[in-house]
Amino acid sequence: MPLSQYAAALDAVRGIGWPALRRVRTTPVGPHASIVRGSTAEFLEYRAYRQGDDPAKIDWKLVARTDRVYVRVSQERTILPTMLVADASASMAFPQTTHAKWKIASQLAIGLAAIARHRGDPVGLAVAHADGSTIIEPRTRSTVLEEMMRALDVTPGGTNSVADVMADALHLGARVVLLTDFLDDDDTGLLAHAKAAVAAGREVYAIHIVDGLELDPDAKQLLVSDPELPDVRRPMPPNARTVYKRRFAEWRDKLARDWRRAGTVYELVVPQAEPFRRTIRRITSAGEKGGASR
Amino acid sequence: MTLLAPLFLQLALLGIGVTIALHFIVTRQPPSSVLPTTRFVPRDTVQVTTVSRPNDLLLLLLRVLIMLLIGLAFARPVLVADRTPVARIVLADASFAVKDIAEVRDSVRKLLRPQDVFIAFDTAAHTLPISALDTLTATHAPGHLSAALVRALREAAELRARADSIEIVLVSPLRASAVDGATLAIRELWPGPVRIVDVSARTDSAITRGVQIRGAADDDGIRLAFNYTGADAGTRLVRGQLSADDTAWAARGGTLVHWPVATAPQGFAPRSTTDTVGGVLAGDAALVYPLERLWTAKDSAHVAARWIDGEPAALERTVGSGCIREVAVSVPDRGDVVLRPSFARFAQALTAPCTALMTGPPASEETRAAIGGDGPLAHRDIILPPDDIATPLVPWLLATALLLALLELRMRRSHAIARAHELKTQQESAA
Repeated sequence: MPLSQYAAALDAVRGIGWPALRRVRTTPVGPHASIVRGSTAEFLEYRAYRQGDDPAKIDWKLVARTDRVYVRVSQERTILPTMLVADASASMAFPQTTHAKWKIASQLAIGLAAIARHRGDPVGLAVAHADGSTIIEPRTRSTVLEEMMRALDVTPGGTNSVADVMADALHLGARVVLLTDFLDDDDTGLLAHAKAAVAAGREVYAIHIVDGLELDPDAKQLLVSDPELPDVRRPMPPNARTVYKRRFAEWRDKLARDWRRAGTVYELVVPQAEPFRRTIRRITSAGEKGGASR
Repeated sequence: MTLLAPLFLQLALLGIGVTIALHFIVTRQPPSSVLPTTRFVPRDTVQVTTVSRPNDLLLLLLRVLIMLLIGLAFARPVLVADRTPVARIVLADASFAVKDIAEVRDSVRKLLRPQDVFIAFDTAAHTLPISALDTLTATHAPGHLSAALVRALREAAELRARADSIEIVLVSPLRASAVDGATLAIRELWPGPVRIVDVSARTDSAITRGVQIRGAADDDGIRLAFNYTGADAGTRLVRGQLSADDTAWAARGGTLVHWPVATAPQGFAPRSTTDTVGGVLAGDAALVYPLERLWTAKDSAHVAARWIDGEPAALERTVGSGCIREVAVSVPDRGDVVLRPSFARFAQALTAPCTALMTGPPASEETRAAIGGDGPLAHRDIILPPDDIATPLVPWLLATALLLALLELRMRRSHAIARAHELKTQQESAA
């Protein structure tokens, strides 16, 4: 996809924030609330002095008024390294004529990366494609978005293991956004990685990309085949379409339930179904709802 | 037009029907569409049968034409002209037996009509155009009626398509020599009568009255075999080299016997190893004696005498109105063989008038009656059709079918290339 096509996506994300879901464990100064209580100007509370506290943090005026020793506790701000994981398997090259799934995944990746980087977070990208993976480690420098755009300039095809790439990304980022259609055979491995990451305090976003033609296939399609398994061909007469739609909906519901239960943010994205800015806000607002205080 | 094997056309029509049906009824797997979520479609097997409008009508038309042409070619169409009530096959004798060929031409001219068939024969029979009648000349070959009748039967088989009845007319002096052992058997194959138109026969004027001997030594034993050896004899026997005068004499109708003493006769070559043969045969005359064989025949000609093992001992060549007979039998200069009556008979057989000069006696009345026959003219229904009917349309039909087949192949390839190009364009636009 030409780099110029990201202009609309970058324009759409202007002014959108993306707070962390919970306090971040990292120490470098950044925009997100840290779990570390420090002595910065952003006052949080007073706490009774305990042995070992730095005497410099004692509020002597309060001691004079109350005759008790308190120390000032302030909120530390830190950064949240963000990794975006894009699935570039053959199933993402759908529909064949427009590749709408891959396009929306690329735009979401760049849009979310732009939001995060704008707030000072390092951003990185991992693209899982047939030949392996392309990984850009989280950085804050100005050219990182362009590097990501170039990394996303691939044609989805073949099969890959998103779970492995996800595992690598979880080592690099405290916040990992997975952009996939979850049609990888190893979806249980993916979920296991996500559960482990959440348990370790990382934030995991599962963005499920589904095309409108997958939700409601064209009735003229009488025989369908899996792009990742061309030998798998199945007829789809009207009665089979009904069964297909039911099964697919059940699968999506179960997927959403599992991922949400695992503590991740799960969002279903259908290309062209809503304005891009609204999609972005839907994803980034998860932190605002319960976010920083959680 | 009529078809000799209409079954093939019926088969072709059946094939055309099947082809058209296949073009309209398409049983195939529908084109497959890509759907990443195929795994949620229930497993099932469905064969879709559709009746669709063919989109390749030109291809269908070509295929129908090809099958029709091939079927028609195998059905062997024959164009049939209008039938005449009676067609005539005229057999004109042009052999040595005819005294005056002009008489034959006149007789034939009276009989022939445009739709008739004209056959001239001597030892062989040839069908000639009617226009060739004016240039018909007599040959020096004897007449063989068997050959003429066989030819007439073949022509009758061809002619039956154009006539209701067929008549065979024989214009000939009909000598006994023209009838051989097979003639009457062949004649019986013809179901109708054969009208015989007599013409004058040549008389056998070259009756031998003796042998004039040239180039023989006085003590040549061969002289003893002949009673009369005057200069006006009808046969000349040369024991030395042939001269131009000898050849000219033979061409004027004489019988020249070249029986050299020591050199090889013309048409013979010296044998690599000479041997001795127990006897030699000329006509009915046999000479049984241990004779030395010095030469072997190298040319092919009419054999006038044979050794008892079958090898030619004398050859006869026709020269002008006469003939030259080359004899490769060495006469022993010792012994009494030349005094034996069997040698005299053998020598007289070798000096008999040339075969071509003998017209022989006229055919007997029984033979004439057997050849002529009686009854009505042969109707076309009782005449056997020919084994091989000319079907000139067949190569044209097959050639046209081949041409159309090449066109169909080219058209199919063009369609395939266009389809591949279209698919490539779609893939490129998708990429």
